[in-house]
Amino acid sequence: MVTARAIVACCCLVLALLAPAAPARADKDGPAPIVVKEPHYGEILFYFYQEDYFPAIVRVLAAQQQGQLSAHAAEAELLKGGLYLSYGHHLEAADVFERLLADNVNPEIRDRTWFFLAKIWRQRGYLDKAQRALDNIGEDLPEDVEREARMLQAQLLIDGGDYDRAIAMLGDWKGRTEWSRYAQFNLGVALVRSGRVDEAKKILEELGGIDPWNEELTSLRDKANLALGYALLQSGQPHAAKMPLQRVRLEGPFSNKALLGVGWADAELDSYQRALVPWMELRGRDLLDPAVQESMLAIPYALAKLDSISQAADHYLNAVEAFYEESGRIDRTIGHIESGRFFDEFLTDDPLDSTGWYWRMQSLPEGPEARYLFHLLATHEFQEGLKNYRDLNYLWQNLDRWQQSVDVYANMLETRRLAFEERLPRVQETLARADIDGMVQRKLEFDALLNDIEQSGDWLALATEREFELWGEITGVEKTPALAADIPEAEEVRDKIRLLKGVLQWGLEKDFRERLSRIRRDLLETGEALVETQRARRQVDDSMQRQPDTFRTFDDRVYGLEPRVETLKMRVGDAMAEQRAFLQAIAVGELQAQQRRLDTYTVQARFALAAIYDRAATVTEAAVK
Amino acid sequence: MTRQLLMSVVAGLVLAFAASLPAQEAVAPDADAASRDQFRQLDQDVQSLKKEVLDLNRDLFLLEEELLFPANSQVAFFVSMDVGEYFKLDSVSLKIDGKEVANYLYTDREAGSLLRGGVHRVHMANLKTGGHELVAIFTGQGPQSREYRRGATLNFSKGIGAKYLELEITDRVKKQQPEFVIKEWE
Repeated sequence: MVTARAIVACCCLVLALLAPAAPARADKDGPAPIVVKEPHYGEILFYFYQEDYFPAIVRVLAAQQQGQLSAHAAEAELLKGGLYLSYGHHLEAADVFERLLADNVNPEIRDRTWFFLAKIWRQRGYLDKAQRALDNIGEDLPEDVEREARMLQAQLLIDGGDYDRAIAMLGDWKGRTEWSRYAQFNLGVALVRSGRVDEAKKILEELGGIDPWNEELTSLRDKANLALGYALLQSGQPHAAKMPLQRVRLEGPFSNKALLGVGWADAELDSYQRALVPWMELRGRDLLDPAVQESMLAIPYALAKLDSISQAADHYLNAVEAFYEESGRIDRTIGHIESGRFFDEFLTDDPLDSTGWYWRMQSLPEGPEARYLFHLLATHEFQEGLKNYRDLNYLWQNLDRWQQSVDVYANMLETRRLAFEERLPRVQETLARADIDGMVQRKLEFDALLNDIEQSGDWLALATEREFELWGEITGVEKTPALAADIPEAEEVRDKIRLLKGVLQWGLEKDFRERLSRIRRDLLETGEALVETQRARRQVDDSMQRQPDTFRTFDDRVYGLEPRVETLKMRVGDAMAEQRAFLQAIAVGELQAQQRRLDTYTVQARFALAAIYDRAATVTEAAVK
Repeated sequence: MTRQLLMSVVAGLVLAFAASLPAQEAVAPDADAASRDQFRQLDQDVQSLKKEVLDLNRDLFLLEEELLFPANSQVAFFVSMDVGEYFKLDSVSLKIDGKEVANYLYTDREAGSLLRGGVHRVHMANLKTGGHELVAIFTGQGPQSREYRRGATLNFSKGIGAKYLELEITDRVKKQQPEFVIKEWE
């Protein structure tokens, strides 16, 4: 029977699954380590602890089908749900949990599970399911997770365009934790998206002035300052825009855009000389960043305003050339991605040593395309798509291995069948010679004989061969006619014979009981051996009779599984192609957007250059006149 | 060319900022609904394939076991660890009736899993009914990181039906030494 203690221990395991950042908590404060009562359960844990979720799930399914987890039935089901989740098999996990969570499960586990499902579903774009999962959460989440769940709820509202409810929820956020800062930021987002820009500015202003205590908050502050700076710039307040933009760190993911914005703020104030300072700083940075690209046009724009026409023209020419080269590189990268090689390299580089939802791709395969696609890694669609692609590849490899094994099993089965058919006549002949019934009959006769000996006290019947010979010799000598003579010598021999006979008889009578018991024991053992032999014989007969059926059953299974493997392998291959096409479309779409931006800038540069040439020509013409 | 025209691209990018969670990006606000639907459809296909492949793996796993190790002759040998303060497991080798049948080298990840309560099926065999002798040799690092090699023996009887033997490594706190025991799994 599964004890409550064991269930609690398993819950801790599942908690660890649902909160991978804090597994130590479950270990240290957990009630007790799990007592493994069945080896198959321990074997599942062996794979689970190594984060090899796929083999762990296969073993749970196999052991459940074989009824090998009866002592861990409830724990195993809970663990299975957790394993499905970790493996990213979220729909199946939800089925398991929906069944289990209806029962009397630890409320914290229940709430955490729904939260975790909501998180996965939002990331995978199942917004309706994510909302339903959040609706199922009670009041038993730990404080930190509860905050994250509330934030998730607000984001779902923003995702669904329900800005008013999101604003109401985020505006009500209590406390001064890190989460309250995220709430503030998201409130700003919701306000901007609902068109309430002035209110958003106040929020962002406050957030932009915080004193952050970690990298994430620093990054959030930068983001808020950047958003505020550009909002002010767009609403014609360049002077006010400068301060938030200057608060953005110089070396960070938002620094390029901030530098560009500061330059634009100065330009708006007609301080072109000052505007050139941040823009020139951008010149040496990665051309991939739109802010850097834009600075290549902003610099000549400022130079032209400062009447450095020739320098401005040079910069425009440089920009056109740089954009052209960049566009060419993007073209080549699109070609590489569309050829499919990029994702093949991704799979080649991937060691496949872990699967599951926690896996995140940190870097792309080395190559020119990595720099263009790097930021795609931060998007859910691309990451989740990559996970699926990777999981499909794992499935394909798995099926490929099985396909080879199934062939081996088919051969093995055939060899066994041939060996059986070859041995069967020999075995049947040998069995026919073994007269087990005759042996049983003889044993029964021995039993009867022994009973007679016991009843009649026939001690001589149990004499050894030597004793029997001796007895025969003595009685033979006793009957010698010469000994009947009435002479002292004969009398002396008769006495000796009587003595010998007496001694022998005394010995035989003395050993009679012991010999009787020993023979009875031997007969008993013989009887048991005969019963065992009869049983074995029945088994052999049974096996011989059943073996053809067993072969047929195995045939059905092996040959039935073969097409299943084949069909599934084809379907997995098709799904991989679809998934790859989807990822390719995202990646190529991203690159084409970059290319369109470059085209726009190129047109702007050419237009500006033409204007400069036109102006120069007009001036020259005027001078000539 | 106006400055407004120039600024529009980057400004647009900046102002389309997304809702934030720590260490996590949000669903892109401009995420194309069609693309999301396509992703969801693909994801559902992947989910369904995962289920089918897992079910197939279960069937193949059972077939393999029944074919290679029929229940009547099956003996499975499991390695488990309890605490493991005095012993870091490197390898286990097994001899059945004087014949070496398995020699397993543990990775750190596997040894760690054993320490946390996992049980490793190190070997499976087909044995005839009757008496057999199992000798297991454990190698690794003992107290004070010294090389450690110990053996354990068990004479066991194989009857009809599968048999499971556990090779257990435990700590003897009093002696501050590891202990190696082989027992039949009840």
